[in-house]
Amino acid sequence: MNRNKIIKTLISIMMIAIGLSFLFPMYWILNISFKSKSEVYDNPFGLPNEWVFNNYGDALEKFNFPRYLTNSLIYSVCTIIITIFLGSMFAYCISRMNWKYKGLALSYVSLGLIVPVQVVIIPILIMTRSLGLKGTHFGLILPYSAFALSSCVLMLYAFLRSLPMELEEAACIDGCNIYQTFFRIILPIIKPAISTQCVLIFMNTYNEFFLAFILGAEDKIRPLTVGLLNFFVSIGVNHWGQIGAAMVITSIPTVIVYAIGNEQIENALTAGAILK
Amino acid sequence: MNKIYGNKVAIFIFAFPTLLLFTAFVIYPIFPELIISFQENDGFKNMGYVGFKNYLNVLRDEVFWQSNLNTFIIVLISTLIGLPISLALALIMDIQSDSVRRFFKFSSVFPAVLSVTVIAQMWVAIYEPQWGLLNGILRAVRLDNLALAWLSDERTVVLAITVAFLWQYIGLNALLFYTGIKAIPKTYFEAALIDGAGFIRTSIKVTIPLLRETVKYLLTISILGCMSQFAHVRIMTAGGPGSSSRTVIYHLYYKAFSASDFGQGCAIAIIFIIECLILTFIINRYVAREKIEF
Repeated sequence: MNRNKIIKTLISIMMIAIGLSFLFPMYWILNISFKSKSEVYDNPFGLPNEWVFNNYGDALEKFNFPRYLTNSLIYSVCTIIITIFLGSMFAYCISRMNWKYKGLALSYVSLGLIVPVQVVIIPILIMTRSLGLKGTHFGLILPYSAFALSSCVLMLYAFLRSLPMELEEAACIDGCNIYQTFFRIILPIIKPAISTQCVLIFMNTYNEFFLAFILGAEDKIRPLTVGLLNFFVSIGVNHWGQIGAAMVITSIPTVIVYAIGNEQIENALTAGAILK
Repeated sequence: MNKIYGNKVAIFIFAFPTLLLFTAFVIYPIFPELIISFQENDGFKNMGYVGFKNYLNVLRDEVFWQSNLNTFIIVLISTLIGLPISLALALIMDIQSDSVRRFFKFSSVFPAVLSVTVIAQMWVAIYEPQWGLLNGILRAVRLDNLALAWLSDERTVVLAITVAFLWQYIGLNALLFYTGIKAIPKTYFEAALIDGAGFIRTSIKVTIPLLRETVKYLLTISILGCMSQFAHVRIMTAGGPGSSSRTVIYHLYYKAFSASDFGQGCAIAIIFIIECLILTFIINRYVAREKIEF
């Protein structure tokens, strides 16, 4: 065996070790979630001496997982529908239709990429309050959609620009009007870009913390991210078995989705970087 | 065709809803923010205009400077240490066999798709002084005196939060670099190979210079992401001990929502916007100014 081959093998082993180090803490928490209150302190690293499955039942009593999960899904799905619907129409309008200020409109909407949502939280809170949206799901869905629009428009615009016009011209000759052309011809063609955007918007909304933390003050509209934090605060810091159980329960949907679709998720996450 | 595309009503129907929603929640709020920053405001009503008093109070507040310092520490560590590590991982990923690369991608991106609440709380467990993973490892290698109370020690808390934040996104950043590398045409590497360049030489002389635009993209999203860091701080320490681990956004949150001073909160937001604009300007001015065409 020559020297190069040994080095290569060592590097491969190192990469696998680094990869495992990203998974190990999750395994450790899973382990802790089956331990009693005192065993976490006495035996933090080994497998549980006594498996406490009750942690899960006890955690679920105080941690309203079904409600928070439903809320998270409502936010993600509604944000996807609004953003994709409005964003694709806007991108189409910019890439195909003839109007004077379309270049300006595109730059205007791309401003959203450099305005972090955190800086406008105070006016948004006041606005949702005065619009009567505070304490409703829409109070979060509208700002989520507004902030998701920029990258959605830019990606769909780039995709549309690369499409030839012939298809639409054919549709036009067949007597389709602009709305039929868009909904029947264009939307099906840009499906790949739309599904990428769906994955991206879903991930961002499902894991969003800041807006939900400030605007979701009432328990009935809290998504998982904030509901889980609230559970940690209410339970105190010493019952790690239950804390771990709540963390595992919260992660199960994500783990399943990621295990099935990790390649698609990776492709969606990197799509923005190639585009620009 | 042109007649259809010139239809004014259709243009309005297609463009207006997006412009309205975007303006209402992204651009318009900056104006009331500016106005409130000159008011004495408790979140419910305006109690008079006070000129620059809010700004002066913010700038005189030591905690504001402390939170700025903390934010810049997070930005600096993430860009000067985090991004190079991600780049190195991406370069190594490129020369691995498919199965090793597949596994590495899967595991390193995993933390980025998990909920931030889960990850941050997991790091609270890792830093736990008595039974946490980190101190457990330190004690196992006989470095007992290094086993600190990481999150309740003013000297280590910001660094500890930064590491948690970095750990969550380092794999995703590596994947983004890797995608950038894959977008470089093969001919460049073949030419380097013919010239007899090894992996390290090829990386430094060919790959990294051609990655300029990916670097710029990652610099921008990483710096803006670190600047607006809030979630990890809120979950891991709530800004403590005392106020020693606050970031600018956490300080904004505290002023506006815990101290009910919307005037100062808005003033902090306006100062923060200016800071972000300066940083974006610097990146655009000095990094990758000319586009690369393959």
